[in-house]
Amino acid sequence: MAEFTTAVFQNEFLPDGGTDVNAIVTISCKGAGTAGQSGSGDAGEIIIVDTSGSMGPATMAAAKDAAQAALSEIVDGTWFAVVAGADRAMLAYPPVTAGPALVQMNEQTRAEASAAIERFVGSGGTAISTWLDLAGQIFASVPQVTQRHALLLTDGENRERPGRLDEAINRATGYYQCDCRGAGTDWQVAEIRRIAQALLGTVDIIPRPAEMRAQFQEIMRASMARGVADAKLRVWTPQGAQVLFVRQVAPTLEDLTDRGVPVNPLTRDFPTGAWADESRDYHIGVRVAAKALGQEQLAARVQLALGENVVTQGLIKATWSNNSELTTRIDKQVAHYTGQTELAAAIQEGLAAKAAGDEATATTKLGRAVQLAAQTGNDEATAKLRKVVEVDNEAEGTVRLKRAVDKADEMALDTASTKTTRVRKDPPAGS
Amino acid sequence: MTEPTSPPETLCPSCGAGVPSGSRFCESCGAQVSDATADPVVPLTPPDDLGDAPTSAPTRGPAGALPDPPPDPGRRPCGSCGGEVGPDLYCLSCGTKAPSERDHFRETPATWVAGVCDKGVSKSRNEDAMALLAGEQPGSRAVLVVLDGVSNLTDSDVASLAGARAAREVLRTPLPAGMGTPQSRDAAVAKVFADAAAAANTAIIAITDPDEPNPASATFTVAVLEGNRISHANIGDSRCYWLPDEGEALQLTVDDSVAQAQIASGVAKEVAETGEFAHAITKWLGRDSQDFVPSVGSLEVTGPGWLLACSDGLWNYASAPEALKAQIAAAGPVDPERLALSLVAFANAAGGHDNITAALARVGPLPAPPPPPVQNAATPAPTPTPTPTATPPGPPTDVAGEGAPTDG
Repeated sequence: MAEFTTAVFQNEFLPDGGTDVNAIVTISCKGAGTAGQSGSGDAGEIIIVDTSGSMGPATMAAAKDAAQAALSEIVDGTWFAVVAGADRAMLAYPPVTAGPALVQMNEQTRAEASAAIERFVGSGGTAISTWLDLAGQIFASVPQVTQRHALLLTDGENRERPGRLDEAINRATGYYQCDCRGAGTDWQVAEIRRIAQALLGTVDIIPRPAEMRAQFQEIMRASMARGVADAKLRVWTPQGAQVLFVRQVAPTLEDLTDRGVPVNPLTRDFPTGAWADESRDYHIGVRVAAKALGQEQLAARVQLALGENVVTQGLIKATWSNNSELTTRIDKQVAHYTGQTELAAAIQEGLAAKAAGDEATATTKLGRAVQLAAQTGNDEATAKLRKVVEVDNEAEGTVRLKRAVDKADEMALDTASTKTTRVRKDPPAGS
Repeated sequence: MTEPTSPPETLCPSCGAGVPSGSRFCESCGAQVSDATADPVVPLTPPDDLGDAPTSAPTRGPAGALPDPPPDPGRRPCGSCGGEVGPDLYCLSCGTKAPSERDHFRETPATWVAGVCDKGVSKSRNEDAMALLAGEQPGSRAVLVVLDGVSNLTDSDVASLAGARAAREVLRTPLPAGMGTPQSRDAAVAKVFADAAAAANTAIIAITDPDEPNPASATFTVAVLEGNRISHANIGDSRCYWLPDEGEALQLTVDDSVAQAQIASGVAKEVAETGEFAHAITKWLGRDSQDFVPSVGSLEVTGPGWLLACSDGLWNYASAPEALKAQIAAAGPVDPERLALSLVAFANAAGGHDNITAALARVGPLPAPPPPPVQNAATPAPTPTPTPTATPPGPPTDVAGEGAPTDG
């Protein structure tokens, strides 16, 4: 049985008239078990492989190998299917045209699926909306599957009329989770990141075919370890208060602010997907009406709900004080993640400016990113930034754009922009 | 002297310490012992069926022993918006923090006697305590015990409550009466009050760590109303007042404080009570107390009015008896609990710099019930309507002569 704990990091003291409360809420899960075996429903996996004509022989061979390796990671008994995606999506395995389109994993189905993958041939275009829609239909064909996860590999830009992909993303949002990987450098980071973020998954680049197998295995292993299906972050705020933002800030940055679903007038649920043994940090900002000095009030109850069952709760508080020593302190966690959020934005905006030919903006933004990465100790971001810019002064954030940049390095910087580092934690301020 | 202590029957849900039967708060950590109200503990009955009279006062029979007030109903609607308060003690609607059971509690032993003990605004915890008793029949017999734990000393909040309850135990049975001359009766009453103060002192020392460099201390003020007679006792600067509907209001007790000493030496009361050492007390209960024999006195009242026992958290904002009377008038004709709430709200509105306790007993018929006020119980806005003393029972009080307080 999974156990959840919550810790809240904040400075609860507000100055006279202060209204905005910031807190980092860390939620940890232990004993999550294995996907589909916690009794709350079966798990389903769909492997979606790009089989468009753009897939070169080396990439295709690596993709086949990686997909087959992923099959071995799927625990026996898990429902699964394999989809081949081109300008339309095809159910490659199981070989059915009606009825349940998922089968349970065992030695025989694994071998049959592996053989089906072996027969993949690259041809046609790339219409990712059809891949997403087919995956949704496949999951829907087996109702006892309640924990739904897909792995999507593409190597090229989506070739559909604008809007079609977003419509498909909307249909899949909240129904299944999807980790996305881009092979090579001919795909659009922003496009694939949109899918991954909406479907509560990760996005990354696989620059070289040789790395594909390990990535697929890791994704599938991580998915199989998520024994807790479909948890929701439930945020209560007092009457008259306003939720400024709800962001997951670790292990990756995901803005959930606009994804709240009202539970009652004071409470909203934000999707968090399935949980493994892990810990996630949420940065929550709430605006409350100022109260008199010395007054204390609750700014938010932050809970994790499995169905209607609240499994853990943290309290975000506000206390008004005229002691400026108390009110001017910024919590270390809040400061750290505020910096990490700005870092991600600086990287993405800097790269976008660079792509648009606005070198002045790109230099400023990426310089700020270098500075923030150093300040917040994000070594991965620092290393990736240094492949794109020459750093003159890290502390001041003065950089020059490199003239010759490997496209893959630029894309790796982009996809990694939402990965955050944690600070070593002091004992929590309250829980 | 000590009351018979029963073995720990429950464990504190907060700190795990043993909690004597009948306790509503843990004496170790001050947490409420939640199921004490749900599971009333049968008091230990000695085999010779002496009731629950203190064994150290065998000469006074248990016949007139008063029962404890009904348990505080506990969680109340939010004091700010009236919404439901969650198990985490924050309002489920507006998020206002509800006071803990120790930070705000009420006792209403009878329709004509009630008290409110409140943390106030500025202090971080409630070190005031009170313990009340009353007979069901209005005007029969009431006991008001108020202790103010000295702030910044370790466990003063736990100590004051333990002391108040121990004193109440001694005063559960009627004061000595019919003992020949008034002098002999006064001496016997003084002995009971001294016993009550000693019991409180013992209870406070009992919860004090022997190695504690800042041992818990508390004031002690008691008013007992029996028929028309008020008997009172005092150590420190909590006070008893007699606030008649008609005639002159009186402060019954005399503070044991630096301010009082200054007043005695000729300094103006207003100056002394607001001076630098206004709140330095010269007598107290606790391990380092030199003298815990209370000053005692009595008063025969002849007309309706209110007997008030309070801590300095209230009288800081209305020291003069007439100023308190004005607050009672401002509250309008209300029952004792609403009046006590109103006095506490007044002190909080005036700043609430200290813990506030107001315990009241009504002499004479209760004022006519107020029109149904759909107000929040915790913050009753004092409506400035003059008290319509519609039913003046008995002759006007003649306070000028025999009514003078006799503090000794």
